[in-house]
Amino acid sequence: MAKNLSGDLRVASANRLVDGMVVFLDDAGQWAERLDRAAVARDTRSAEILLQRARLESFGIVEPFLVAVSEGEDGRIEPLSLREKIRASGLTFAAIAAEAVRYA
Amino acid sequence: MPDTHFYRYDEYDRRLVGERVEQFRDQVRRRLAGELTEEQFKPLRLTNGLYLQLHAYMLRIAIPYGTLSSRQLRKLAEISRKYDRGYGHFTTRQNLQLHWIKLEQAPDAIAALAEVDMHSIQTSGNCVRNTTADHFAGAAVDEIEDPRVWCEIVRQWSTLHPEFSFLPRKFKIAITGSPNDRAAVRVHDIGLRLWRNDQGEVGFEVIVGGGLGRTPMIGKTLREFLPKDELLAYLEATLRVYNRYGRRDNLFKARIKILVHEIGAEKMCEEVEAEYESMKDSALRLAPETIEAIAGQFAPPPLQPGRTRVPEVEALKLEDRNFALWLKSNVAPHRVPGHAIVTASLKPAGAPPGDASAAQMEGVADIADAYSQSEIRVSHEQNLVLPHVAIEDLPAVYRALDRLGFAEANVGKITDIIACPGLDYCALANARSIPVAQRISRHFAALSRQHDIGDLKIKISGCINACGHHHVGHIGILGVDKNGIELYQISLGGDVDFGRTALGTILGPAVPAEKIVDAVDALVATYLEARSAGERFVDTYRRLGVQPFKDRVYAAV
Repeated sequence: MAKNLSGDLRVASANRLVDGMVVFLDDAGQWAERLDRAAVARDTRSAEILLQRARLESFGIVEPFLVAVSEGEDGRIEPLSLREKIRASGLTFAAIAAEAVRYA
Repeated sequence: MPDTHFYRYDEYDRRLVGERVEQFRDQVRRRLAGELTEEQFKPLRLTNGLYLQLHAYMLRIAIPYGTLSSRQLRKLAEISRKYDRGYGHFTTRQNLQLHWIKLEQAPDAIAALAEVDMHSIQTSGNCVRNTTADHFAGAAVDEIEDPRVWCEIVRQWSTLHPEFSFLPRKFKIAITGSPNDRAAVRVHDIGLRLWRNDQGEVGFEVIVGGGLGRTPMIGKTLREFLPKDELLAYLEATLRVYNRYGRRDNLFKARIKILVHEIGAEKMCEEVEAEYESMKDSALRLAPETIEAIAGQFAPPPLQPGRTRVPEVEALKLEDRNFALWLKSNVAPHRVPGHAIVTASLKPAGAPPGDASAAQMEGVADIADAYSQSEIRVSHEQNLVLPHVAIEDLPAVYRALDRLGFAEANVGKITDIIACPGLDYCALANARSIPVAQRISRHFAALSRQHDIGDLKIKISGCINACGHHHVGHIGILGVDKNGIELYQISLGGDVDFGRTALGTILGPAVPAEKIVDAVDALVATYLEARSAGERFVDTYRRLGVQPFKDRVYAAV
């Protein structure tokens, strides 16, 4: 059972400028590729501050924004929307490999 | 002897593309150095076809009129391997999208394209996009004239055209040279259909204001017959009227189809004709030698008429049922006796529609070199076409394609699904398209069943922008997001065959993702029980109307 499904929890995300990869702002003000490294804002005020921090740390990333997440009993955070789940986790199907001659 | 039978860049083209590569390289350098903001840089990268999508940059590469040489296809494979993840996605506008490009490498990727006379200019932005054509052009039995000659003329006129670089919205042109439209000309901003009048002259029917997206419209004929040498003047007049009156205050009402709808086809025609009158004898009138020079570059390959009935082919038909089915669905007649047009299906069971790995692209290039005059086409139905294959070579081509996984005998059948990239890639999408296509494809994978069902076109879009052409699918599927849940709205009866262009009718409430296969199954079952002899799915739908299909689907889901 998720602790918080109301959407109060937020993380800051963006795309990395150099390659477009999805990144999340961590507690140290660094942009990390893994969602589990993301700093979590737990209320509206904290979320505003997090977004301000993201904008201050925006060299090398594109258009930071807040993502609504939930937190499980085990502390694992997960985006609420399917779009953000896909951004965080990647394609939901297996892409064909470069040297493959058949789709497996 | 030229290595292609289509337009080859001249020095002017090469210089223009080369200069653009260097401009873009400098723009990227300045962006990475922080000298340009994203707001400043975004229009520059979009002009070069570079989008930022959900989790990476995407480079959209123009494939003019869907025609590629084997050399170009090999280069696309090389670029996908070197600068992307080793695969690409062929689109409904005959382009190729690479979905994992790095910004820092994008200039090198574009420079590599220029090595084979290709680019990504005007594959985005509010300008005239890549002009598309019948993928059987230059080979089709029913063709009056090769439409690619005119696509190339339009390309040269529209590339970096200063007056039309900031249109109210993007602008898409398609041209067909055959009465059996394979270019969907009635659902483009401008569709051009070459036809021969009673005097034996060939000219264009000019269709304006078609389009899909949020507000689907079938284009209106502004000119029944336009002499060919007046084409550019008429296009310029039409674009000028659109540029003047098209709405810029509302993104969703900015396409020319909305202008035509709001002022009416008659008024639009008056405006265009008035503008045209002032310029028809200008420098835009095409000189015969100009047309001939470009047409000469599309001279057909020197194919010798050959045997139309080849014992080896007939024998394999009896031995191998899949080959026999492939001949029926994937092989079309060629204008030169003894030859055929082969469609390589990029829709093997369960595969993402339109995707090809670098190895597969190279494999198709090899087959084209061996058996199809080194030429390949990209269809708007997201398949590849080998346009000039000798009938006696069909067994070898079939085997070679089979080794690549591209010999599925399903062209025009229920698993030959058009699907946009959807929410797995696209920042605009509301729902996924590819996984839905994969599930339907796997469910109907049995070839004998597909051929029993017959011609049935499923088209899937992940949002209302309709890149998957769902409005004109016999079965159209549109992904929608309702409170964070993916639902799929089904429409029936869409079509783009010439003279029968129709927009689908929405069946009813959208169905959950997990029920979409059941819903399609119910539609097919209704058709199979009710069809008369020779009726396709869409014919039965037209005869019976929506109700029996609706009843069956909502009982099933």
